[in-house]
Amino acid sequence: MEGLLTLWRDTGLANFELGQMIMMAVGAGLLFLAIARGYEPLLLLPIGFGCILANIPMAGFTEEGGVLWYIYYIGIETGIFPLLIFMGVGAMTDFGALIANPKMLFLGASAQFGIFATLFGAIALNVVPGFEFSLADASAIAIIGGADGPTAIFLASKLAPELLGAIAVAAYSYMALVPIIQPPIMKALTTSKEREIVMEQLRHVSKREKIIFPLAVLFLTILFLPAATPLVGMFCLGNLMRESGVVDRLSSTAQNELINIVTIFLGLAVGSKLSAESFLSVETLGILALGAVAFSIGTASGVMMAKVMGRFSKSPINPLLGAAGVSAVPMAARVVNKVGLEANPHNFLLMHAMGPNVAGVLGSAVAAGILLAIVGG
Amino acid sequence: MDISQALATAANIMLLGMVCVFVFLGLLVVAINLLAKFCPEEVVPAPAKPTNTNDPLNPDVVAAITAAVHKYRQSRE
Repeated sequence: MEGLLTLWRDTGLANFELGQMIMMAVGAGLLFLAIARGYEPLLLLPIGFGCILANIPMAGFTEEGGVLWYIYYIGIETGIFPLLIFMGVGAMTDFGALIANPKMLFLGASAQFGIFATLFGAIALNVVPGFEFSLADASAIAIIGGADGPTAIFLASKLAPELLGAIAVAAYSYMALVPIIQPPIMKALTTSKEREIVMEQLRHVSKREKIIFPLAVLFLTILFLPAATPLVGMFCLGNLMRESGVVDRLSSTAQNELINIVTIFLGLAVGSKLSAESFLSVETLGILALGAVAFSIGTASGVMMAKVMGRFSKSPINPLLGAAGVSAVPMAARVVNKVGLEANPHNFLLMHAMGPNVAGVLGSAVAAGILLAIVGG
Repeated sequence: MDISQALATAANIMLLGMVCVFVFLGLLVVAINLLAKFCPEEVVPAPAKPTNTNDPLNPDVVAAITAAVHKYRQSRE
């Protein structure tokens, strides 16, 4: 009888707490979104599963010495996983469209307004009782507006590790929701005539330009913003491996096997941060709301900037392109293309939108560097 | 730190951050333009062949060519 009782005390049933059950439901919800709806399944699936694992009573996955604890400690606390992902993204990115039309960098820059406006918003939210975001917390939340998963995780792990789970989940959920969030904003801010604007054909970009580009970006970062060099440096390394053409094996590993392996562990590690005590709070709701705001402001400011630029530019600029300035590669560019096609079925904006899109990646990495330098330093 | 002070700091960071992002990416625009100025001359002959493979065909052009070919064939009959 005594043995049976001991066994009972070791079962999940006897030890469940309400919070853990809710978090398991959240994990199951993420799995549902990933599997049934296809929202960012590569990340939401391991995150959802990690969330379930992290909330198993008595298993101790996330306590010191547990497997998830190690994965988190090795990969995220050190910042290694997001940086490796960034290298892979660099190896997947073709900067041709941006080099052909460098003005697009300004669209990528203005879309970062979403980040900084949200920082202000997060601090303002402190007026509401129940919220207590420090400047570091607010910065980490604001970076969701950069619409760049690895950047968000990197910054959150440095500035506000206790909010990391909610921030990562918000960042990836909103990235998956790009096709739903962006079009109404884009349409509200543009007339259908503006959406029909046809862009000039992009010029050809030589191989040498593509090789020198990552080196030039790195050089500028070294000179002016060393705090961004972990992100930008790994990104440029990946891109140089791609464009140099002499290390195809490394480049293909970085953008396939390596990024896949890292994605599995990154997802699990983020999921492990979704424990009941840290996720079930009003602050999480605040983060989710602020993330949506960040995203919308970023989209809107990108579109507005494109309108202003179009007025002064010699070559026509379709204001829809501004929406691609919030990284979220390549989803945002595809959305621009789709909305453009709705207005003018012969107007393919995809290639043109890739310019501001990759500019957005650089822009959010730079913004992350600035936040690290100001707030973290 | 009281709230108005925190808000002032946040507004400060907002301004500073946006200026920095714009300045930095603006420098990059200058760098790319310089790159374009100094690069292509040396490279022009090399990339001649893979040039057009990436550009999507302009549907208007395709339509015009199709119409012209059609007309030409009709006139030959």
